[in-house]
Parts: sequence; structure tokens; C-alpha cells
Amino acid sequence: MIQTGVISTAHGDLVTDASYDFYGLRLATCSLDQRIKLWQLDETNGNWELEDDWKAHDAAVSKISWTHPEFGNIIASASFDRTVKVWEQTSGIGMPEPQQPVQANGSGSNASTSRWIERAVLPEARGTVRAVEFAPHHFGLKLASISSDNHLRIYECLEQPSLTTWQLSEETDIQALPLSPSASPFTRAQQTNALATPTQTSSSLDGASAPLIAQALQQGLQQSSSTSQQRPGLGNREADGGWCISWCKDRYWGELIAAGAGTSGVVKIIQLMPSNRPITLLTLDPSPAVEGALVPADPDAGGPSSSAITSVSWAPSCGRSYHLIATGGRDGHVRIWRVKPGEEVEDDMAADSEDGQWSASIVADFENHKSAVGRVEWNITGTVLSSAGNDGRIRLWKATSGNVWRPAGSIGVEQSEQQENENPVERDIDWNDM
Amino acid sequence: MSGVFTLKPPLVQKPEDLLAAGQSLSATPSPLDNSLAVFTTPASSSQSARRPPDEEQPVYFAGSDAVPSYERRLFITDTLVIFAAFQNLLKTSRSKDPEWIHNERNLTVMRKLAIDYVNFIKECWIHASQPAPRPDGPLQYSADHYRSLYTCFSLFVVLYLPEPGYEEAPVGEELMEWLNIHFIEPSTEEGDHLSSLKNPWEDETFWPYLTRATLRGLSKASVFFLKMLSGHPSEDLQHLAETMASIISSQPRLQNFTAERDFAYASRRWKDKVKALRVEMEQVLEADRFDDFDNWWDRFSDIVGILEGRAEIVQRVCEELGADWKEVCAAWGVFVDARFRRQDIPDVVDRILDEMPPDPTNVEDMVHTALFTGKAVDALAHASQLDRWLAAHLADIMEPLSLISVDSQDEIPVRDLHVLAYAEYLHSDPALWRITVDYMFSCGDVGKERGDEVLVRVPLRLNDKSATAPVEGEGRIRAGNVVGVLKDVNQTCFDYQREGARRTICRIAAQTLVHEKNYGLAVSYCSSAEDWQGLGRIVDRVLDEYITSGPARFAQYASDIAPSLQNLNIRHPSSSAVFVHRLMFAVRYSNFQQLRIKHELQSAALDLVAMFRDDVVPKSWWAVTLYDAVELLQYRSALLFSAAGAAELLAKLEEIFVRTSQGSGGDYLDILARTIAGGGYKEALDRLKTVRLALARYFARSAVLSI
Repeated sequence: MIQTGVISTAHGDLVTDASYDFYGLRLATCSLDQRIKLWQLDETNGNWELEDDWKAHDAAVSKISWTHPEFGNIIASASFDRTVKVWEQTSGIGMPEPQQPVQANGSGSNASTSRWIERAVLPEARGTVRAVEFAPHHFGLKLASISSDNHLRIYECLEQPSLTTWQLSEETDIQALPLSPSASPFTRAQQTNALATPTQTSSSLDGASAPLIAQALQQGLQQSSSTSQQRPGLGNREADGGWCISWCKDRYWGELIAAGAGTSGVVKIIQLMPSNRPITLLTLDPSPAVEGALVPADPDAGGPSSSAITSVSWAPSCGRSYHLIATGGRDGHVRIWRVKPGEEVEDDMAADSEDGQWSASIVADFENHKSAVGRVEWNITGTVLSSAGNDGRIRLWKATSGNVWRPAGSIGVEQSEQQENENPVERDIDWNDM
Repeated sequence: MSGVFTLKPPLVQKPEDLLAAGQSLSATPSPLDNSLAVFTTPASSSQSARRPPDEEQPVYFAGSDAVPSYERRLFITDTLVIFAAFQNLLKTSRSKDPEWIHNERNLTVMRKLAIDYVNFIKECWIHASQPAPRPDGPLQYSADHYRSLYTCFSLFVVLYLPEPGYEEAPVGEELMEWLNIHFIEPSTEEGDHLSSLKNPWEDETFWPYLTRATLRGLSKASVFFLKMLSGHPSEDLQHLAETMASIISSQPRLQNFTAERDFAYASRRWKDKVKALRVEMEQVLEADRFDDFDNWWDRFSDIVGILEGRAEIVQRVCEELGADWKEVCAAWGVFVDARFRRQDIPDVVDRILDEMPPDPTNVEDMVHTALFTGKAVDALAHASQLDRWLAAHLADIMEPLSLISVDSQDEIPVRDLHVLAYAEYLHSDPALWRITVDYMFSCGDVGKERGDEVLVRVPLRLNDKSATAPVEGEGRIRAGNVVGVLKDVNQTCFDYQREGARRTICRIAAQTLVHEKNYGLAVSYCSSAEDWQGLGRIVDRVLDEYITSGPARFAQYASDIAPSLQNLNIRHPSSSAVFVHRLMFAVRYSNFQQLRIKHELQSAALDLVAMFRDDVVPKSWWAVTLYDAVELLQYRSALLFSAAGAAELLAKLEEIFVRTSQGSGGDYLDILARTIAGGGYKEALDRLKTVRLALARYFARSAVLSI
């Protein structure tokens, strides 16, 4: 590996998220300092220049997302101030004046001609907004957000050039989301199979009763968390939880999103349909029967951890017949799920055909971080997964032949032995040795 | 510290210190190359962080591979030419004949291309070995690296791509030649040293040198030193050496025979001569077998043992000389079994390796081992450790030779796996995007779709006016020609038939062009992508120009998109009607505006009525268009409308009033209201009342005048 650059003073406080634009030529960063900054890569020298900087929210900014460039230069930011905001870059020259008075970016803006204009504020969340992500471009200008009220919200832009009108087209409690479109006991039983698929790969489970335990726990968990949700200020729920989303990048399967909410440690694969309520196609549940048992007893990990999923990332499928979804959790695990879509069957047959079911298995489960994992993310081709943990390391993972996932390097910011010896030589680390 | 890459400047002494401060690292991968942005983030823990507030926080950037430097880039781009030629061969031959691989001519071309690779690597190795000054910076890969590639690739050619017709021929001499080219023994210096001596047999390196030269089939060197033994005090040895020299120089060589049978016969007769030499040797008395320095007889016997092809002697001698399993294997083919064939190699090598194992820490040796033992998949795995280039290009040839399977459990065949790994390495340099996608698109569906992901992210640089001369560039764009990267990317999409990617790129280009108000080109990109919704949005933007910039600017912008409308009607007769309809309105409305501006009012009036008659005016624009009629209705010098035309306008006007009274005013009045500063529906209706008044007056005037 080699270091290609550094911005030594990027933000006045810890950086909560960084997101590259479609081309990787610009980087948007956001921080606890409530600001968003835009950096542009100078390709001639590899330096990153500050392009814009403004106070975006009234609390820490949690997440930032770019639209596909076919919609223009648009970003959405999510914040602990319970809002999502949509920003558009205007290039001084000849942009139509906005019809409504808009809040121009803050005093920190430099003298560049471009400005980021606040186009919309989406205030519906009843908790801190933890993640926001624009839908893949083929589904139109849409975004999803998830907040600590456990609600997944889908917004659709109604007037595209102006970007001011966003319709809340879906609002659903992740934990209360039904497993199937039909609530008949028969289909429910069918769905349990899908839910319990991980037992085939998880060594910590034994016996055929696991699926039933899983289901029972699942339901119990849903009940307990939905009741706790109604009691404000209960314990450290916000701090222990994890809220994350990731869209399926593929067009073929329709609008799918993976979402995790709260402390449950499961990720749901949710199908969004224009005329119907969203349904859960599949639940990614690593080890429901031993809930909590895998929490590391590391005293440095910051008190009792939960198994909450902090990050989910849906890999671009890139011609594969299956999906790869990575999750990172407070239990210290980085997991890669191989999700197999159900076969094409008629809607009314899906309920009574095994082939219609989506299924999942864990193809990799790494505990190398040995502490809570804060983020997982795929590269553009879905071949390299990066994960970040409380161990102060970025770890990379790659599939080797035979589809075995292996560590492919790690990155730290501590004093290296070489630096201590005052011999700063750039090393080219052999990926295969790590 | 094994395996951890540390970023500079360091933030903490130990990684644990981060968490103690309530911090952690996080990262996001870049779509541009194989790099990551790494930043400090709040630790995901339930306890609130104890950290100093308001401390400046850095963002680091780290790449997984070093961007190919000058010499490496040359290597990459030049070997691509061979790769492309090979792909071309596969494409054309496969389509012509499913049994193409058994065609001698095709095999000859394959072999030639493989030898091209070998020769090219050799040149790189020579270039890298020269101690010349390097103005383009130090070498990224050492000469030794290229030497390793050279030995591996040339061995592959020797073993798997024989000259057509020679597949079944003995391979020993070719193996020995390969060994002699790449692993030179005994050294020239030793030979020079010995030949300078008067009595070279007194030197301790004499017998090892002679043995090695013989083992390697270096007959000239062997004969030279055997002849020097004519000065040796032992007459026996003098005599034996002379006989041996004649035997060695007469060893049959395959290349001198036209039929293998003749070669085999000659080899047997030659072996008989060696046997006779052995008999002669045995007759030397024990006491005469020493000189002052050595037991010359034992030494000589070893060499005869090699010539006899006694496997145990060959192996023992190799071990004593410090030679490895490769040398045993090559000598096997020359001396032990003169009819040693390619298909015999794995069995023999396996036996040799049992006693002389390869060096597992030497990747190059592991590649050789796997190639010798016929384990193609293992060879690729080791090759990829040496250089992903090697694995990719070997795999590319191995697949058509059926050395590796086309199928795979994981949907990615072995060949594609290695080609894609190399392509991924190439992606470390965004400037190499063409080559990156060339390799990706040579693969199956998985590779092709990965190629799409890379291709659609190639920056189009439409904003980058500095890339082309500003005036000229602008002119070319206006003329409808695509310039620069966009043209390249578009062409690549066509070449590889990546229609989905092409449409995405066209949509992005259209969006960027709209942003620059280059509506004409934007429309042509949208229609190229068959993105009718996008087309509708562009038309809306152009119509918006009427509201924001006024009729004159609008007319100018709309005339930009007019030619596209004609193309659209010709090329996509069935194209989505609604959007084309809007586009048609925009064009006709701008024509109308231009007539007004040019004061061709009679034509303008006719046009206005015709637009309503042809039903191209969207409801939302009725009010605006009707309001434009006021000026024409009030024209003093002439009556511009026919009675029927004016009546038509009146009908539309009344429909608006009626629908507004029914509560649907928004559908009709919105746009007119937007053209009035601070105006609403009420003001818009007021304007329409002036239209009504103008119409009433017009009817009155025409009634009076027509009497």
C-alpha cells in the first residue's frame, strides 16, 4: 500500500462521514462540527483543495450521500438535528433563480463561483437521522433515510429542476415490518426457512429447533423494542443501537434496500413497491439463538456492547447471480452474506413455492477488529470490502480463488516502528501476506 | 507490526490510544482508483467520548497499489497490443471453426504471440538491467522481477506451446536450452580462469566445471577441457579423455534428424559407444586411478555415468554441484531418456521433487514447479503472487489450450479471475481506464459488468474547457461533434457493445450540458440514450428559459434544439410521444417568438392559430400563448387573424375561465403567473381578461371592416 495524500486539517472536530462523488474527483466530508466540506482533487499534483465549506445543520452531521450525476450535483445530508437536507451546487452563471427564498451556505464559503444551495429540508424524522442514501439512478431521484425512531423513510423528488418538493412516499417502522405480503400463518412458516438459513453456516448453532427459536426471539425482540420505543429516555438505547441502510444497486430486482435499526443485530432486506406496503423479503440474522453471547468482553470497547449492526453495504452485483451484503456490528463481526434471490415465479405462487424464497448464507465472518465495527463499504466493483473498527484499523478483505474471503491488508494511524527509527520509507506491502 | 500500513503523520503512539480518546478510524473507498479516504471518527461505543474538543482532524488517502511508473506503463501498454491481437485471434477463429484449436495455423499464431510476450519481457529485462541514467525516475520493478517473468513465460511456451507437429517430440533438448538461457552454469568466469591455467586439472574447480558443462550439454566447453587433459600425466586418462571428447561431440541432436525414429536409433548407437568407454575405464588399474591431486577416475566415472544416463548419478552429481530439481529434469531429458516427452514430464518431476523439493519461499521456483508438474491452476496462483500481469496473461493462453477449466463454481472462470485481478491493479491508475476496460471486457458477464462500472465513472470533463482550445472546443460542440473523453468513452461503449453503460454516460453528459445551457447537444444525447423523461426535463428547462430569461433568449435556446427534433422524428418515429410533443411545442413556440421579434406579424398570427389547431400547445401554456396574441390582436394596420382563427382563440380562452371557475386554474395559470413578478393566479386571470377584451375589440373591428 502507499499513501497518496493527506488533508491535515480537514475539520474542526471528528469526521462523521466522507463520501466520494460518482467519479471520485470530489470528496464531501461532514463532521460533529455541523459543517459539510467539499474537497476537489487536483489531478495534476494529487492534492485535495477545499472547494466549499458551510454550516449545514444545527447538530452533528451523521451521513452524506451524492446523487448519480445524471441528476446534477446534489448531495443529501442527515443529522442529529432530526433532519435530512438536500443541497445543490449552482455554478454562478445562468442558473435560474430559485423561486423560494433559500438559505445560502454559511459564512465559511470561500470566494469560488460555485455555491451549494439548500433546496429542501426533510423534517419528518422523530429521532436523530443516522443515515441517508440516494436510490440507484434507474429508480429516479429518490432517497432513503433511517433514524433512531427506527423508521425507514423514502422521499421522492417531484419537481426535478427545482428540487424543492420531496414527497415522503414511504415511512415504515423497520422492526414492525411484516415478513411477507400475506399474514397467513402458512406463509409465515415458509418465511422462517429463509430467516434461519444462517444456521447452515454458523457453527454456534445446533439442532433443528434453531429456526423456531430464531423466530420466537425475533418476535420477542420486535415487541420489546417497539414498547421501549414508546418510553422516551429509556437507558442508553440510542448509544447502543445502530441504524443503517444500503440500496441494492441492481435494477433487475426492483427497489430493494437493506436496513438495520436499533439493537437487534439483524438486517432486513426490504422490497419497496409503488402500490403496496414495503415487505421484508429476508432477514439476515447471524445467530439469533445465542443473542448477545458473542459480545466481546473487551473492557476497552466502551462498556457493554450490543450486537447492533452499525453499517450495512450492498455490493454492486456486477453480473453475479447472487448478491453480497456486508454488515459490521458492535459485536466486532464483519460478515459477508451471500443472498440468493428467489426464482422468478408468479406472485400468487410465490407463497407456496420454495423457489420463490430469497435465501442467505454467511460466506465470511471476521472478528479481526476484536472491537465494535463502525463501518463497512464495498468498492465500485464489489471486489474489495473495507471495514473500520474501534481497534483503530481499516481492514481490507478480498475474495481469493474458490471464493474464499481473506484479509487483504490493514491501515493504521499509529507511530510505526519505521517512523520511530526515523526512517520513513514508503513500503509496498504484499497483500497476500496479510 | 506485520501487515499494518501506517499513515503519516501518525496520530497516536499505539492504536489503542485512539479508542481511549473516544476515537476510531473510518474509511470510504474511492471510485476513481483503488484508494481509500481514511478519517478519524467518533468511536462506536456507548460511552461518551473523552476527547479534547475542537481539535483539527485530518483525512488521509491511501492506495492499495502504487500507480504504474514510466517503465511499468510501457510494459503494460505494449503487452496490451499482444493481448489484443490474441483476443482478435480467438474471436475470429472461434467463430469460424469450433475445432479451431486443433488447426495448425492457429496454433502457430498462438505460439508466435506467446513468443512475442517472451521477447517483450526479455527487452524489458535488458532495459531494466542497464545501469543507464533514468530521467523518468527509478525503476518500479527491478531487473530481477522482469527476469523472473522471463523465465516463467518462456518455460510456459517450451512446455505448453511446442511448434505444431512437435507436440509428441522429445523435449529434453528444449528444456536444457531453456535452463541454459536462464540459469547459466558453469559460469564464464570459471571457464576463463581454467583455460588460463597450464594444468587446469590441478585446480579444484576443474572437475566440477567439466561435469557441469557436460551435464548442461555444453559440448564445446566439455571437448575443449577434455582435450586439455592430453597434457595430464596419466596416459590412461589422456586416452579416455580423447575418446570421451569424440563421444560428446558426436551426441545425436534431435534437430539434425528429420525422423524421430532415426534420432532414436542414433541415440541407441551412441549409448553403445558410451558403454564401450565404460568398459575401457574399468580396465584401468586401481593404482593408476589417482593423480597428485585427486581420484581422477571417480570424477571421470561420474561424467560417464551422466552420459550413460544413470538417473541416480545424475541426481547425485546435481546435488553435489548445488544444482536444483530443474537441472535434474532437463538432464533427464537429454541423457536418461532421450525420448522424454511432454506428457512424461509430470511423473518424472514428481519423483525428482520427492528427493529435491522446490524452495517454497521462492515464488518463481514455485511457478516453475507447477508448470513442470502440469498444475496450471497452481501455476497461476503462484504467478499472481509474482505479478498479476503474469497470471493474467498466462491464464489468457491457458484457457484456449484447455489447461484450465472454462467453468467455475463461482461464476467466474479461472482465466477471468486472473485477468480481472490484473485489471483491478490497472485501475490503480485512472489514466489507464482504456486498458482496464479492455481486459475487463475480454471476460464473461461478471467482468463485463465490472468494466461498465469503471467505464461510466471515467470523468467526461465536459466542464474542462482548458482541455481543448476554448473557442475551437466550443465551436465543435455547437457543431454537434463530441469532443475529448466523451467521444472516447462513447466509442469504447460501441466497440464492446455496452449499450447500458453508453446510455448512462449519455444521460450524464446531457445533464451536464443542460447545466451549461447547451440544450441542443443535451437533446441529442438524451435521444441517443432514448431517455425520453430526460428529454422532457430538458424541454421543461428550455421552456423555463421563457419565464426566467424572456422570449428572445428562449427563442434562441429553442432554435438550438430544433434540429434535434427533426432527427428524432426520422430516427425514432415511435419515440415516446408525450415528450416529443412537448419538444415540438417548444420548437414551434420559439419559431413564433422569432417571428414576433422580426415583426413578421402576419406569419406569427397564422402560426399562433396553427399551434392551437394542431393541438401542440400544452394546457399549462395556453394562457401564456393566448396572452402573446394581445399584441397581434391590437395591431392597427391590419387584421391578422381570420374570423375562424380568432374564434378558436376565444374558445380556448373561455375554456380556461370555465375550468378555473371549477377549481382547476392551476393547470392553466401556473406558468403565466410565474412570468408576472410577485404575481399569482389572480394577476394571471387579469391578464387573460385583457386577452378577452382584445378579442372583443378585434371582433368588433373585423365586423366593421368587413361590411
